[in-house]
Amino acid sequence: MYHTVYVTSYMSTSTTTNAEIFENLKLELRRGCLTLAVLTQLRAERYGYTLRKALAEDGLEIDEGTLYPLLRRLESQGLLVSQWREEDKRNKRFYRLSPQGEQILNQLLDEWQRIHTSLSKILQGA
Amino acid sequence: MSTPRNPIELVDRYLQAVRFWLPKSLRQEDVIAELGEDLRSQIEEKEAELGHPLDATEVSAILKRCGSPMIVAARLGPKQHLIGPTLFPIYLFVLKMVLLWILVPVFIFIIGPVNVAKAGGDWGTALAGTLGDLWSGLFVAAGTITLVFAVIERTHAHASIADKWDPLKLPPVRKQERKTPLMHTACEIFFGFFGLIWLLLLPHYSGLILGPARTFLRIGPIWHTFYVPILLLAIAGLLRSGITLARPQWAWFPRVAELLQAVLSLILLNFMINSALPPAGADWHPFVVLADAAKNSAQYIRVAAIVNASILVSLAAAWLGVCIAVAIQTWQLLGFIRNRTSGAGQPASLHVQ
Repeated sequence: MYHTVYVTSYMSTSTTTNAEIFENLKLELRRGCLTLAVLTQLRAERYGYTLRKALAEDGLEIDEGTLYPLLRRLESQGLLVSQWREEDKRNKRFYRLSPQGEQILNQLLDEWQRIHTSLSKILQGA
Repeated sequence: MSTPRNPIELVDRYLQAVRFWLPKSLRQEDVIAELGEDLRSQIEEKEAELGHPLDATEVSAILKRCGSPMIVAARLGPKQHLIGPTLFPIYLFVLKMVLLWILVPVFIFIIGPVNVAKAGGDWGTALAGTLGDLWSGLFVAAGTITLVFAVIERTHAHASIADKWDPLKLPPVRKQERKTPLMHTACEIFFGFFGLIWLLLLPHYSGLILGPARTFLRIGPIWHTFYVPILLLAIAGLLRSGITLARPQWAWFPRVAELLQAVLSLILLNFMINSALPPAGADWHPFVVLADAAKNSAQYIRVAAIVNASILVSLAAAWLGVCIAVAIQTWQLLGFIRNRTSGAGQPASLHVQ
């Protein structure tokens, strides 16, 4: 709570432009969605680069600096499993959803549906 | 920096630079291998798209898009902060308390005067020395506090703070039309009582104000004139605190009485300063005089002069402070009267109707 107020206060006193404010809010909005998208994509096994490509093809671009820490965090939480394997004469780290990840993903998708329905109602009323 | 013959070498240079900025504790090789694989895949795909091997400029463009090694390492590494959001408000509170409310007053009221005494009245040297000491003191204090909080952060000693709170133990909602807090009034009475005792004993025990200097200093005759008014003012202050404590519902009383007391103090201070500094040509009335045995000592004469000057400066500073207090108290009293007459300033309820 305090941290949020601090950040807001800092931003309002600095020379933040509308574009910067929008970028920050967009990042906040994307953060949760990216996790959901990554978990969904990893129902099938992929390595980092093909995962980034798959997401980008569906319109959700994600840079290396965001994806790899996210993958490591999800793996440390037990939602993903990974394995280094040789493919095309190069070592690649393949990720896929763990059984626990599958469960959590289903719960998250239900939650996402609820949020989506609520937001649609709110936006229609606006 | 030379351009490599093999453009792919640029990737190795880039990865080496990223590795430099990554914390050693992180699974460095894992992270670097994964990033390297990603970059090589991008290069491979670009080559397939263009139909020829990439040159150094094209590889460089891919690396440029990826970001500077330092920034990429920062993104890939764990989120680092010296003091996290849980501890930060407490850290800020402690820092303010120590620096503003302890360290600065200690320097102004204790170390500053000691330096003046040590410098033998050389105010310039004393001020420069005090400011230097204050500056290093602030740094050391801020550094130590930061270090302690960083250790608490690292040891996770604060982990339970967020859970160890009880809504039932939160302080009650403060009323907007605030009556003088009980604790404040109780402290006033406590210190006022001991102050009064001290004042009553002063004529008999000059050591209470002069300390060890009583061997060569005496209280000046000027105090005989002002002793009774000071005593009456102290008694009035004690009575005011007593009435405030006994009649907390009299919201107007402390405001009016404090203002009245401040005005009387101002008048008294004014008289004291004017009496000490009579018109030109007349004798000056010192606050302390030398004892008969020390009247011929040049060193004691100088000490007495410094003490007299210090008391005069303190009285002038007190006069200025009371002037400001009178202005603020008048403003607050006017605001109180305005609120009373308009009916505003009633406590705001947080209850949802």
